[in-house]
Amino acid sequence: MNASLIGFEIAVVLLGLGLLLLDLWTPPERRRGLGLAAALSLLLVLVATFVVPIPQEAVGFGGGYLFDGLALFFKRFFLVAAILVLVMQTEFADRIASGLSEFYALVLFALAGMMFAASANNFVMLFVAIELITVTFYVLTSFQRGRQASLEAGVKYLILGALSSGFLVFGIALVYGTSGTMSFPEIAAKIEANHSLAHQGLFQFGIVLVMVALGFKIAAVPMQIWAPDVYQGAPTPVSAFLAVGSKAAGVVLLLRVLLTAVPDLAGHSAKLLMVAAGVTILYGSLCAIPQRNIKRLLGYSSIASAGFLLLGLSALNLNGVSAILYYLGGYLFTVLAAFLVICIVTRSTAGQTSQEDDVGLFAGLHQRSPLLATALTLAMVSLAGVPPLAGFFGKFLLLKAVVESASSPDQTALRSAYYTLIAVGLTGVVISLYYYFGVVKAIFWSKGVGDLSPIPLSLPARLSLYVCIAGMIFLGVYPGPLLDLTDGVVKAVFK
Amino acid sequence: MNVGLEQYLMVSGLLFCFGLLGVVVRRNLIIMYMGLELMFNAANLALVAFSRFNDNLDGQLMVFFIITVAAAEVAVGLALIVALYRKRQSAHVEDLTTLKL
Repeated sequence: MNASLIGFEIAVVLLGLGLLLLDLWTPPERRRGLGLAAALSLLLVLVATFVVPIPQEAVGFGGGYLFDGLALFFKRFFLVAAILVLVMQTEFADRIASGLSEFYALVLFALAGMMFAASANNFVMLFVAIELITVTFYVLTSFQRGRQASLEAGVKYLILGALSSGFLVFGIALVYGTSGTMSFPEIAAKIEANHSLAHQGLFQFGIVLVMVALGFKIAAVPMQIWAPDVYQGAPTPVSAFLAVGSKAAGVVLLLRVLLTAVPDLAGHSAKLLMVAAGVTILYGSLCAIPQRNIKRLLGYSSIASAGFLLLGLSALNLNGVSAILYYLGGYLFTVLAAFLVICIVTRSTAGQTSQEDDVGLFAGLHQRSPLLATALTLAMVSLAGVPPLAGFFGKFLLLKAVVESASSPDQTALRSAYYTLIAVGLTGVVISLYYYFGVVKAIFWSKGVGDLSPIPLSLPARLSLYVCIAGMIFLGVYPGPLLDLTDGVVKAVFK
Repeated sequence: MNVGLEQYLMVSGLLFCFGLLGVVVRRNLIIMYMGLELMFNAANLALVAFSRFNDNLDGQLMVFFIITVAAAEVAVGLALIVALYRKRQSAHVEDLTTLKL
């Protein structure tokens, strides 16, 4: 019974182990193809999530593992992300000196961690899942051992990641000590039975520590400092997986802790969430302005996005949560498209540290490869939040949820705070227009372009780009299907 | 003197603060890493104490997971620091200057 619940995770882990074994019999020149094989196998797992009969809601492993609509949504999300990242890795293969199969396998193990995180229902599962993701990413970030930037990014991620893990375990210890249980629903039940628990200093301090640690995962203030350095130094596919997978895992855990375990306390901490959201948006947007390195720019943009996700959370209504899921859906295609283009375009300049990943590399891209130029332009426009693309609709829904909270009669005390937050969010959008369009400008209107040789595109890369472009446009033009899905999921899970 | 929950928590809190102080103040990566381990063990102590005084074994179970995960983290972390040392001949944070604005 228990084993059948974690069938998808088992499949992913077995796939990773199989890949490591296959490596022994594969000649070096053909190892690159293993990534595509892994991507295809993951595609099968993704199809299986639609075909295999799945319980509506089931709990296993002593209440630690929960399979519900939200878990399924995020499992599919992570699978799609991992498939696109694996394709990106095969494009990146020539820049990995040794251990290519491990490079693929580690992404699969991180994926398994994320899928477990989507189902976490107590603090033990939360901790183990989060550490499986983080420790894997330490290795992935520093995978280009010959490149100093990569090693440095790995060490920075290591120290700050371990620091956030330290906060996490101490927070868990305090919450466990005051409530006497690790399980999210049981904590909620204890608060229900005894309201004074939620106002105990130690309990609140524990929850805040846990939230800070999860804030590290989504790159929100005050644990945002690692993001730009790590995104810049890590191998491009790893940055992409960090931006999408790791962030979404943080979001789902934050939702589980705040809305399942301490819904009461979440209501009282609205101000805290609002301040974190506002500061995160402003920090990300303002610091992105002077950046010339595109991966660093995307690092800051990822911080700003974390701010928007927190904005949805601070709205404290189900529409806000549904908007978060929608925003993540659009974010997946947008960010992966951007990183895939970066990965392909920077191939020629790999190893030259001085101008690696400089925005100037994209000069004349529309003549070198119209498809790459279209994908990157759409990604930037979508991230900036211009209609009719996915990013616009996501931000629109998030702000709409905050407006609803501001105008609802039971939030009168926070009304002015909500309006300030909306103003901050809109300011962030306006600032972001400037730096995203800097990239678009570099693509189409650069002077003195040197290299105009066409860029060859492999079939898998081409297909992934089509998928990303289709995703960005579809989610922007026909928001209905996904919106119905996220609304249904959220209403079923957080009554 | 009777040792109660408060005493254990006091020690655990002190250990956590020392660990955090070590990470924030010291500039050598290995020492910083030791500070981080101290923070983990502070949490372990608190968990075991709570577990003992709550008559509930969940906390002790969590400690096993934390020890295992911390061991994995140290294995990866030290390998990384050694790799960086080979490249730079230094394990000081001030020398991590490749990635800047």
